[in-house]
Amino acid sequence: MPLWLTLLLILGLGGIAWASARARARAFAGGPVRVHSLPNYHGWYVALWAVLPALLFLAVWGNLSAGFVHQTVMASPEAASLPSFDMQRDAILAEARGLARGQLTAVFNPQSRELAPVYASAFQFYSLIGLAVAALIAFAGGGWAYTRVSPHFRARTRVERLVMAVLLLASMIAILTTLGIVLSLLFESLRFFSRVSPAEFLFGTNWSPQMAIRADQAGSSGAFGAIPLFWGTVFIGAIIAMIVAIPLGLLSAIYLTQYAHPTTRKWMKPILEILAGVPTVVYGYFAALTVAPAVRDLGLTLGLSASSESALAAGLVMGIMIIPFVSSMADDSIAAVPQAMRDGSLAMGATTSETIRKVLVPAALPGVVGGVLLAVSRAIGETMIVVMAAGLAANLTANPFESVTTVTTQIVMLLTGDQEFDSPKTLAAFALGLVLFLVTLALNIIALRVVKKYREAYD
Amino acid sequence: MTKRAPTDWAGPDMQRRIRKRYAAERRFRMMGLFAVLLSAGFLAFLLITIGIKGIPGLTGTFLTGSDATDPELAGIWGAFKGSLLTVGVTLAIAFPVGVLTAVYLEEYAPRNRWTDVIEVSINNLAAVPSIIFGLLGLAVFLNFMHLPRSAPLVGGITLALMTMPVIVIAGRNAVKSVPPSIRDAALGVGASRVQVVFHHVLPLALPGILTGTIIGMARALGETAPLLMIGMRAFIASPPGGITDPATVLPVQIFLWSDEVSRGFVEKTSAAIIVLLAFLLAMNGLAIYLRNKFERRW
Repeated sequence: MPLWLTLLLILGLGGIAWASARARARAFAGGPVRVHSLPNYHGWYVALWAVLPALLFLAVWGNLSAGFVHQTVMASPEAASLPSFDMQRDAILAEARGLARGQLTAVFNPQSRELAPVYASAFQFYSLIGLAVAALIAFAGGGWAYTRVSPHFRARTRVERLVMAVLLLASMIAILTTLGIVLSLLFESLRFFSRVSPAEFLFGTNWSPQMAIRADQAGSSGAFGAIPLFWGTVFIGAIIAMIVAIPLGLLSAIYLTQYAHPTTRKWMKPILEILAGVPTVVYGYFAALTVAPAVRDLGLTLGLSASSESALAAGLVMGIMIIPFVSSMADDSIAAVPQAMRDGSLAMGATTSETIRKVLVPAALPGVVGGVLLAVSRAIGETMIVVMAAGLAANLTANPFESVTTVTTQIVMLLTGDQEFDSPKTLAAFALGLVLFLVTLALNIIALRVVKKYREAYD
Repeated sequence: MTKRAPTDWAGPDMQRRIRKRYAAERRFRMMGLFAVLLSAGFLAFLLITIGIKGIPGLTGTFLTGSDATDPELAGIWGAFKGSLLTVGVTLAIAFPVGVLTAVYLEEYAPRNRWTDVIEVSINNLAAVPSIIFGLLGLAVFLNFMHLPRSAPLVGGITLALMTMPVIVIAGRNAVKSVPPSIRDAALGVGASRVQVVFHHVLPLALPGILTGTIIGMARALGETAPLLMIGMRAFIASPPGGITDPATVLPVQIFLWSDEVSRGFVEKTSAAIIVLLAFLLAMNGLAIYLRNKFERRW
């Protein structure tokens, strides 16, 4: 009996419970006694009592029955010939399970073919038991609730209490996610720092995480000095990208809010916002295929050492991606400057550009700075552009035509590929993730502080 | 002694000064226009470059085939189906959770420390880099809960956690914009607090919530990095059959093809980008249409 059929059956029972309880509640509506709840609520109350306990049981049973099935199979005569060696036995059992479920057709071990029918019958047996008990629970729960349907029964209050509980549960998921992020990063990072000292990680200048296969090989320990990564991240995300994004974003915001004709503004603003909606993998592809060769040629023409994957190419494209972000933050904070300040400046005879440069921008500066900090935090967390265009060499260089690598690039490189999960190489990715998480968090908190402080000045 | 500003309007000094200020004004204006045109020009350049390279690649085999080692036979249907399944899981989780959280925070949450914790964590989650969610998915869903690797199920849950804050923030704004008089009227004729929200506030806030949801889904559809972390970069030669089968998604397929040395894949990559962009544009267009059609000013 497949799971979805069981679920359908339970939900069907719930539907029947809903309809019958509603019909019963309707029967006494308009009678001599004033009814507390609408018939619908009586229906829902009974239906929930029929469905929820049964579903809860099914969830528990799903976990328990795997153990029961295993026991039954191991006790069967076919299992007597199984090797006692654990890993081999587990492999055969897994194959037999796959055969019995119809997920596999060809298997490696002939024994698993013998075991498959035993598995199939055990699955069938226990799922039928589960179904029977679930149906029984559904009937019992629904029946008990059905006896409570009466004019005085406060069905609506009960149903609404459940709705409130569900709402509260939904809002807890955000907290659970945050906790999950912090705990998983911390836990894996602690395991990493038990093998590599935090001081070496944070202040070392040599990054080569390749672990040798043999212990006596050269460079077998791997080096985890993350300074070149931090520098590469700051160089691309906070320097080159911002040199592109801040002037372009700020000037476009000023032009569109202060100078442009309303029709132009109506058309240009969404067009610029498309820049923020283009997936980063598209930017990465564009940076690697079109921008990077052009940048390399430029570097060679200038007589600098240039590599085909350069910090400049990645930074330029990332800056363009950030433009709409900076622009909309600047837009908001300029719009928040009181109109009286602008009018005052214009009335004194200042031109529009003088008003903007001497009055609006200084007044909006905290908001703009906050927006730029948020943009930096987004740029350093950006992954695909740098993975595809910035390269892998952990160089400590200020030459924008050279290849540098970033924290996010290295996280991707360390975790894609086949290696065991416990090596320092994979754990290092979590340590880098922790640093990235803390830095973006700090940037966001500072940015919000700056913006908040500014708001209080004019309200 | 500093030079005094001229006071005679007709004098040549004043005229020169005014000309200078007007020139500065024009220069500033031109700089602004230049910034806007440069940004828009870059977008046009990007679209045209990819269009020229990709449009010849939009053939029937390309749209219906799956990944293959031979660029002539490679198609995107497998990756596209993976994307649909993944975004489907994301929508099924993020939409109800996001809407219920938004309703709880706007309508019922008591002002206390607990509510503050919920609000702070939602606002922080909205700013966490997407790759961190990939690390979360790897550590919790794959290594701790042992869910199937490379599957749309895990990808969908990971992206749901990432897009949920977007939906919550959009949902809260939509719920907030429903005027209090609607609630007062419903309460006045005897509705309970749950009835007020589910019968009156939510239907009125729905267009705003849907707009936010579509934008969140568009973001999830274009996301690559977290899915790389949970192994959705496998070579998938046949479309996935369900949410627990190994699969890949469109952006990851673009990433994988962009690494291929064979020249034939440049055309395929650009064609896949066109398909992805067309979808994102359609979703954003739908969001804008919904907003314009149903948005009410109270």
